Amino acid sequence: MTRLCLAAGFGLLALVPVYGQAPAKVASAGNKDWSMPRTLEGHPDLQGFWTNASVTPLERPKELGAKEFYTPEEAAEHDRHELVDRTSWDRLGSQAPVHYDMSQYGLDVSLVKVAFTRRTSLIVGPEGRIPPLTGEARKRRADQAAQRRGHEFDSAQDRPLQERCIVWSNEGPPMTPAAYNSNLQIVQGGGFVAIMQEMIHDTRLIPIGAQPHPASDIRQWLGDPRGHWEGDTLVVDTTNFTNRTNLFGSTENLHVVERFTMVDADTILYEFTMDDPATWTKPWTAQLPLTRIEGPIFEYACHEGNLGMPNTLSGARAAEEAAKKGAK
Amino acid sequence: MRTGIKLALAAAASAVFFVVIPAWAHHAFAAEFDVNRPIKLRGTVTKMDWINPHSWIHVDVKGPDGQVVNWMIEGGSPNVLLRLGFTKEALPGGSEIVIDGYQAKDGSNRGVGKVVRFADGRKLFLGSSAPGAKGESDK
Repeated sequence: MTRLCLAAGFGLLALVPVYGQAPAKVASAGNKDWSMPRTLEGHPDLQGFWTNASVTPLERPKELGAKEFYTPEEAAEHDRHELVDRTSWDRLGSQAPVHYDMSQYGLDVSLVKVAFTRRTSLIVGPEGRIPPLTGEARKRRADQAAQRRGHEFDSAQDRPLQERCIVWSNEGPPMTPAAYNSNLQIVQGGGFVAIMQEMIHDTRLIPIGAQPHPASDIRQWLGDPRGHWEGDTLVVDTTNFTNRTNLFGSTENLHVVERFTMVDADTILYEFTMDDPATWTKPWTAQLPLTRIEGPIFEYACHEGNLGMPNTLSGARAAEEAAKKGAK
Repeated sequence: MRTGIKLALAAAASAVFFVVIPAWAHHAFAAEFDVNRPIKLRGTVTKMDWINPHSWIHVDVKGPDGQVVNWMIEGGSPNVLLRLGFTKEALPGGSEIVIDGYQAKDGSNRGVGKVVRFADGRKLFLGSSAPGAKGESDK
């Protein structure tokens, strides 16, 4: 498993990357001998283990303007640079050197299988960036920051959901690359598609069919997903988020549509569209490949030994005590 | 500072900014550990907790006065370590290790291990075949 899941930085370059492409170009991608694997119901068989680890930023670097795709040569150079020249330490900027030796702990993206794409950003279109916030959203964000200021460490409830092991922002919808353990498993059958994310162990159970979303007073951390097939594409429509599920600044009225299209034996093209008129001036769409890996994924029982929370709170209490003594 | 412990402190050399919880870390590093309290510990492993979200290595550290103090050192995600080929048996009790890291902010005998090595200099977890493309720890 180690052999397949992990590849040393330079070794990885020997692999032939499968570049996810725009849907219009998908038909010609991949192996011509390949035919769509199907379940007993006749739908594409998406089952297996996948990774969405990526070296492509969500938002396009401004200097690239409207350039949506690299050429194959540019993409190869970009990926080499991101994997080898520019390690996780560089990517993380000033935060990095104080924490782990990333390569020692397996936290560098050069250590894992990566889902490559020729896209310059995961967000599609000429802008390649999250649209501007609405005035309402800017005010909301400022109000929340003001409320939080000075109370960040008062109690466990004041810490972010991720630190509390409730949900991680990568889980989906929309599913975005996690920094490590960026792996998931898809299982189909009995009128459902199940997606289990290694980070942080949640399973999304998606009913397939025409059932409507539940009433608006039913709210879930990861929303309420409903799936259907459009040809060979699985479409998952999710609403009914909680008012504390904040994804890129979203509100409880966030509406996410995901599309899963298998394009070759080892690649699913994954696309999502985010719409929340209370947050963004227009909807936005991103696209990234999922690349097949050998399983299994492991349990990530996030809270079983979560000493981070007591350490953080006791650190804050110690800092308060020290400040009191200093003031005397 | 604490006596009886090989605890090296250095002045804060650089400004560190923690505006948001970094997406790659489980927790806020600056809230939990103190960048102004770097530690260098040499000791023997008493046990390793193979738990999420972080592994923890327990290590007995003997000070110049002969007093032994048990420290807990935070390591990476067990899932990642397992994929690197590091197993529960890879760090037996009694192993001598050297830790460079930072102490917990509350002043307790806990810390984060930035680089952990065996006594002979090999890096723990990856050993001599470290696939880190550029050996970032030497930066």
